[in-house]
Parts: sequence; structure tokens; C-alpha cells
Amino acid sequence: MSALLTVEDLRITFPTRQGPSEVVRGVSFTLGRERLGIVGESGSGKSQTGRALLGLTPPPGTATAKRLEFDGIDLRSASPKQWRALRGGRMSMVMQDPKFSLNPVMTIGRQIMEALAFHGRSGRAEKKARAMAMLEAVQIRDPERVFRAYPHELSGGMGQRAMIAMMLVTEPDLLIADEPTSALDVTVQIEVLRILDALVTDRGMGLIFISHDLRLVASFCDRVLVMYAGRVVEELKASELDRAQHPYTQGLMNCLPKIDNDTRPLPTMTRDASWAL
Amino acid sequence: MSALLDIRNLHVTFGAGPDAVQAVRGVTLKVAEGESYGIVGESGSGKSTVLRAICGLAPTSEGSILLGGTELTAPRRADFYRRVQMVFQDPYASLHPRHTVDRVLSEPLAIHGFDDRERRVEQALTDVGLGPSFRFRYPHQLSGGQRQRVAVARALILEPRVLLLDEPTSALDASIQAEVLNLLDRLRTERGLTYVMVSHDLAVVAHMCDRLMVMQHGQAVEELTRDALRARAATTDYTRQLLTASHGYTKAAS
Repeated sequence: MSALLTVEDLRITFPTRQGPSEVVRGVSFTLGRERLGIVGESGSGKSQTGRALLGLTPPPGTATAKRLEFDGIDLRSASPKQWRALRGGRMSMVMQDPKFSLNPVMTIGRQIMEALAFHGRSGRAEKKARAMAMLEAVQIRDPERVFRAYPHELSGGMGQRAMIAMMLVTEPDLLIADEPTSALDVTVQIEVLRILDALVTDRGMGLIFISHDLRLVASFCDRVLVMYAGRVVEELKASELDRAQHPYTQGLMNCLPKIDNDTRPLPTMTRDASWAL
Repeated sequence: MSALLDIRNLHVTFGAGPDAVQAVRGVTLKVAEGESYGIVGESGSGKSTVLRAICGLAPTSEGSILLGGTELTAPRRADFYRRVQMVFQDPYASLHPRHTVDRVLSEPLAIHGFDDRERRVEQALTDVGLGPSFRFRYPHQLSGGQRQRVAVARALILEPRVLLLDEPTSALDASIQAEVLNLLDRLRTERGLTYVMVSHDLAVVAHMCDRLMVMQHGQAVEELTRDALRARAATTDYTRQLLTASHGYTKAAS
């Protein structure tokens, strides 16, 4: 399997009054055309990792790596122009909440067509046709209405589908999804994931799925990275999650209440200081 | 069954005329003393509005709410809040950012004329597992889990009989959620409290509550016991959907 993305020793640092604070400390992984999950609790550095892959580390933060390669392109030395061609074109990102990541004063259709125009499609009719086809592909029943709608006129699930459509219309090779379904209701969440799953499989994309929900990631992805305090503490196949070795992964698994068993009190985690080393 | 909390045909409507939103449409439920009752539903199902209507934060447009056999008046009388207290979802939003923990906990005591406040504040902090050293901190000096513990302490300091819990753990990480759920569980056993808990997470409600109600579009879809839930004895499609979804992602829609 040829690697689509290679990350070696990724470090992200933010300056603070107490001196530089490293929020991601030496993350390495490779990604093929597969579904990789990154799981961790708030502050584990999972979202920052995802953003750094797109060169979106918010200033004054800085990201450094020994190797950061996407399909043979060295991302560390990419010029702003190269970045613009890559972002949204060959690698794109689905954010958590459609309410905050769609442009509120532009219709959905225009936003999708803008993405297409930016990455080199010209004819208006062609762009519209592709946008409509994409809206249908994310199972929006009434694409004509959604095309003309503003983000506030859509429900959360619809908005998230529209965003997925916008990110996939340029047919990227890599999709980074940062908590794409956390703002959605559970039943809608499953529908959106099915759409994502089908598109990723059909188009042979690589997917990085960032989430705090271990159970969801385990059931959706092929491989899982578990992050704690800026490090990957464990990497395993999603199907072998019950054989996790690291006490943090085990703790994350056990502390969730389950419908079928009545463990009382729920097992809690005693965080070992050595995990963060 | 003598119900401590008895809600009959509750309707809550916001606004009037063509823009009126019927958030709750005819919900009836009874909660016995010492019971833990759960309400599950997705966003917009009206589950939180039911809780808010109980404590007078949402208008009751039809139906009645009885506590210990007497109908509640609007606005609620002060002694109502000594018997019923609420814990809100977001610990980042529900604590005053410029009040210390001490002030947050002392205020209800002063309003309700409790004596021995010094001791009560320290006791309340100990009860929720924080300890007196947290007394003079501000909310921004606390983590999310610690804040939610302060919110629980604030609710319990008036020694209420009923605690209304509105998604008390959904803003917290999974490992912290377990700690807060354990705390709530322990307090209920120790003090014989009655809980009404709202959550979108079926597993959390199944863990905490003896009986639960599933809501959708402002109406009760189904009421079932924890055992029925475990036996998958759900009678409606919607409850079954929620049950399936709570197991995580499955490939095909079957």
C-alpha cells in the first residue's frame, strides 16, 4: 500500500506566558486510502493534529515535523500558492458545526459552486450540474431547494450534509473530518456517517476521522490512534479495540455506561502521570 | 402509587399566533418519591422544556404540575425551590464568572434564611468530592468536571427532595462523565433523592434511571422501565432506532 500521507514527529507549539507549550508532541503515522480514527479527550491535541495537516495551525502556534508528505509533496515547504491548490482541492476538511463553518450570507449552491470555480471548473451550467449531483449524492431529497437555501434555513443534519457535499465536490484524495457528527442527533449521525462511508469507499479516498467518541470511531474506522496529552499512546485496529493494552484506552472503553450491564459505580480513570511523559 | 411529582397533560407553547411554537404537547408522567426518572429525546423534542416547566422557567399553557399532591402556582413560591433544584447542562455557562465558589454556594443559603452557613458550604463541597480548599476559587480556575460538581453542590445545599438534571454530563469528557454520574448516583442513595434526568444519551439514562420516557416532537413516544429497555422490549420504531444508534455505527440500513 502506497502511503497517501506520511507524518513523522509532528510537533505543535503555542507560546504562553509560562514559555512555549507543546500541545502535540511527536505524532507519527501514515495513511493509505483507508479510514483512520483519531480519538482523545478535550485537550489531547487531536484537532490541532488535523488542522496542522492542512497548514491551518492558528498563529501564534507553530507546527514542525521531520516529515510531512502528501502524495509526494513536502508540505513543510509548500508555498501559500501550493497550499491554496491543495486545500479544498486535493485535501479538504469537514468541521464540527455547520452553523459556524458555512458562510451565513451565501446560498449553499453558491458556496459549492465557489469551491468548484476555485479549483478550475469554468462553465456555470457545468458547475451547477455538479453541485446538484453532489447534493443528491449526500442524500438531500430536495436538492433544488437546498441549492437556493441559506445555511440558517437548514437543520443541523442538512447543513452537515451540505458541508460534506461542498468538501467532496472537488473529489479530494484526503478528507479530514473533525467531529463531523458531534453536533447532530444520534439517528441523524448514523445517516451522515453512512453517506460519508459510501463516498469514501466509492471514490477511494483517505479519511481521517477525529472524534472524542471511542465507540463511534471503533465502529466506523479501520484503524484508531488514541491520543493523550499531545501524544499517540496507542495505535490499533478498530476491530481489536477490546484488546487495547494502554490503561488510558482501556479506561476510555470502560468508563462509558452501557445499556446492558449495570456496573455501579462506573469504573473511573486514575490518570497516571507517566502517561503524559 | 402516590406520586411525588405528577405532571398531567402538560402543554408548553412559546409565542402566539402563527409563529407559536408548541414545544411540549400533552405530556403526562408520574415520579414516585425516591425514584429516578429519565427523559430521552433528540434536540427539539421538548425534553428540556418539560424540566424547565417544572421549575417555572417555561410557561405552562395547559395542564397541571403537582408536587406532593398540591398544584404548583406561577410564579413558584420560595419554598418550592427548597424542595426542587435544578442542575443545568453547561457548567461553563451556569456559574457566574465573577463569583467565587463560596459566593455561589452562600447565596441560596442567605435567600432561604439558613443558619450555620459556614459549615454548610464546607459540607456541601466535601459531599461533592471537592473539599474546602476549593471554596475561594473562581469558575475559571476549575475544570469542567469540577464546575459541574459545584453546580451539583449549589443545587444540594438547600437540601431539596427533587433534583432536576438537564444533560448534566453532556458537556464533559467520557472519563469525567463517569465521575459525575457516580457522584449523582451516590448522593441519591445516601439521601433518598428523587431525580428527573434529561439526556440525549440512552446509555446514560439507562444507567441512572429506573424508568424512562422517550420524547419526539414534543410528545411522549413511549414510557418504559430499565428492564424493558435491556430486554429490547421497545414497542415503537423510534425507540428501536435510538437503541440501534446507541450501539455506534452499523454499515447497512436494515
